[in-house]
Amino acid sequence: MIHIIYISRAVRPLSDQDLQGLLAQCRRDNERNNVTGVLFYSHGNIAQLIEGEAETLNPLFEIISRDGRHSNVNKLISKPIGARSFPDWSMAFHPLEPNGFEALQGFLLPTHITPPPSSLTIADAMLLDLVKLAVFGVEPLAPKSI
Amino acid sequence: MREQQLQDILRHMPAGVATLQGPELRYGFVNDAMQAVLGSPITEGQSVMEQPGIIPADLLDVMQQVYQRGQPYIAKAYCLPLADNNDGTTAPQRYYDVALEPVREGGSQVTGLLLFAMDVTGQEEARQRTHELAIETRRLDTRLRVLTETVPQITFTVDAAGTYEYVSPQWHYFTGQPTTADLNIIWPLLIHPDDRLRVLYQTEAARSAGVGWSYEYRLRRHDGQYRWMLSRALPELHAPDKAVFWHGALTEIHDQRELAEVLRRGEAELRFLADSIPELIWTATAEGFIDYYNKYSGEYSGLSGEELGPAGWISLLSPAEQAGAARRWIHSVATGESYEGLYRMRRHDGRYRWHIIRARQLTDARGLRWFGACTDVDDQHRLRQVLQTQYDELARTNRDLDTFVYTASHDLKQPLLNLRGLFDELRRTASFNDPQEEEIVVMVDDALYQLDLTLQDLAATVQDQRGLSAPAEPLDLRSVTEEVLLGLRTQVQESGAVLELDFEQVPTLTYGRANLRSILHNLLSNALKFAHPERTPHVLLRSTLADSGNPILIVQDNGRGMILPEEPAPVFQPFTRQHPQIGGAGVGMYLVQRIISSRGGHLEVASVIDEGTTFIIHWFDALNA
Repeated sequence: MIHIIYISRAVRPLSDQDLQGLLAQCRRDNERNNVTGVLFYSHGNIAQLIEGEAETLNPLFEIISRDGRHSNVNKLISKPIGARSFPDWSMAFHPLEPNGFEALQGFLLPTHITPPPSSLTIADAMLLDLVKLAVFGVEPLAPKSI
Repeated sequence: MREQQLQDILRHMPAGVATLQGPELRYGFVNDAMQAVLGSPITEGQSVMEQPGIIPADLLDVMQQVYQRGQPYIAKAYCLPLADNNDGTTAPQRYYDVALEPVREGGSQVTGLLLFAMDVTGQEEARQRTHELAIETRRLDTRLRVLTETVPQITFTVDAAGTYEYVSPQWHYFTGQPTTADLNIIWPLLIHPDDRLRVLYQTEAARSAGVGWSYEYRLRRHDGQYRWMLSRALPELHAPDKAVFWHGALTEIHDQRELAEVLRRGEAELRFLADSIPELIWTATAEGFIDYYNKYSGEYSGLSGEELGPAGWISLLSPAEQAGAARRWIHSVATGESYEGLYRMRRHDGRYRWHIIRARQLTDARGLRWFGACTDVDDQHRLRQVLQTQYDELARTNRDLDTFVYTASHDLKQPLLNLRGLFDELRRTASFNDPQEEEIVVMVDDALYQLDLTLQDLAATVQDQRGLSAPAEPLDLRSVTEEVLLGLRTQVQESGAVLELDFEQVPTLTYGRANLRSILHNLLSNALKFAHPERTPHVLLRSTLADSGNPILIVQDNGRGMILPEEPAPVFQPFTRQHPQIGGAGVGMYLVQRIISSRGGHLEVASVIDEGTTFIIHWFDALNA
């Protein structure tokens, strides 16, 4: 079992519809391939952690890195792990119109991202936190309640 | 019958046909098309000269001339103003080929005119458009030429055979070649010999593949210097895969290339430098991912840069410190604050050594980057630990000694009391047969008194050293001084001393109460004790501010004065006595000095023998303490 973390840039900003399509596509494919993890998206910044068997993940990453929807794919880490840290695959982003998304399977508001699970090494957890920072920025993640 | 047929044909002809008869040019036959052209209804026999309608004067003039001269005339694309529309708007202009044919009925005399009007508006408009387009094309062409000849780049066009068809004048300025030079022969010769074959091959390859090119090479400038140029060209396709021309530009990139070369060299040198330093040195991206570890990092950790990865340094730290170090790094990346921490880092042999990890952000034209270093401070750290242990031990020993002195002085008090009791008893009961008895008794008495004082002072010294940490509080100087004087009232009364207290300028002081009392007591009792035997003691206490703004206390007497040691630093050592003839243990001023310096101040003293002594207490040396 390995996990891979990468960051990339969307070639054009993804609309709510694009994101919903991506969510549905990835959930379907990942469930079939027994791939778990988390994807962050904000303002064209993309980062993803995926975990699964090496023989699944390596070709999957090949496909991901060739996907025309993003560029500047930077693989930060790819290394063996003892066990999964994520029970399923989910995706965190700020939709323009969040109402329809709340109910979607595998959707997370960035404010609802939980801290990296303790099954990750501290170095990997820090990397995931840095990646989250790189995608969502320093802005307070919680939307201001009015 | 035939006449009728002919008339029918003429009537329905798409061109306007009319006959004009006689010198007055009266309308004869007018077909429908001509009616439409002329607009207003025409009646037979109506004279054009009298009722010209829309026909302009110049055409009327021409008509008359044709009639008179008998020579036909065709006016090409003649503009006839149409009758205004019914709604009052101006009708568009229309163009006609107007043919005027003289008619000779029975003889050579002209009897009338045949008028044809063929609508050529469409053709005329097309012709005018073409004309306008031609002007526009010329304008664009001029603009393009001006542009290509004023941009700093050399522009060129190559045809499918590889022959240079055009080159902008910049080429001649750059190369210094005359405009008569044969481009196709000269150009390759001006390319740097080391680049020539490559350039010719690449051009040829791109041309045969029908694609554009982009490469760099050195071209000889007019002064003989070879300059780096960027050659870029794109094909002009006349069919999907049929390139006919290549248009391109040559840009001088010599300076950029030199700069890039300098940068590359600079970076290589810096990298070499970083690799030569026996410290772990690394750089990280703006996002906090480490993208470079120096060679020593690998040697120290036993891991390659790949194995360490963008966040792997965290795993080198001792497990208990990892989470804190990670949190701090994320904070630094988020805020841009510099990173600093003291951590144990694992060496390749598994031993942990203390390191100071520092990182700072650098922002320049190439963006934001982090530069970090891990400095091995293990030896210093261990040494500090040893020193700390030794210091702790010494402090404890010192405390123990103080306690010992205190208890000893305390314990000795009882035997001393016993001794004094016994001696008094002895003096009362026994008698010595010695003429010097009286003298000896006084000496023993004095000695006992001295011993008692010394013990008391010893105890006080230790006690006051303990009290040094007493909390500071705002104190009213006058009331504390009066308390102290109350304890010294016997001495004041006996000596008849005059005390002048001036606390107006700085009435309060934040200090330890016991300490202040101890200082005032010592200074005042000294002033009284060492009074000049020939005059009334006069003691002045003044609280004021020094030039530095810190509070000071001046204690001035008119007593015996003393000889101050050369070294100004520690004036008063314990058990050193300035006036041996006057009783005392010699610990009083030592104590005062210790208290003042332990509270961050210092004692200044000036003295003139037989005139008096002035003590200046600088309560605090640091500003705003």
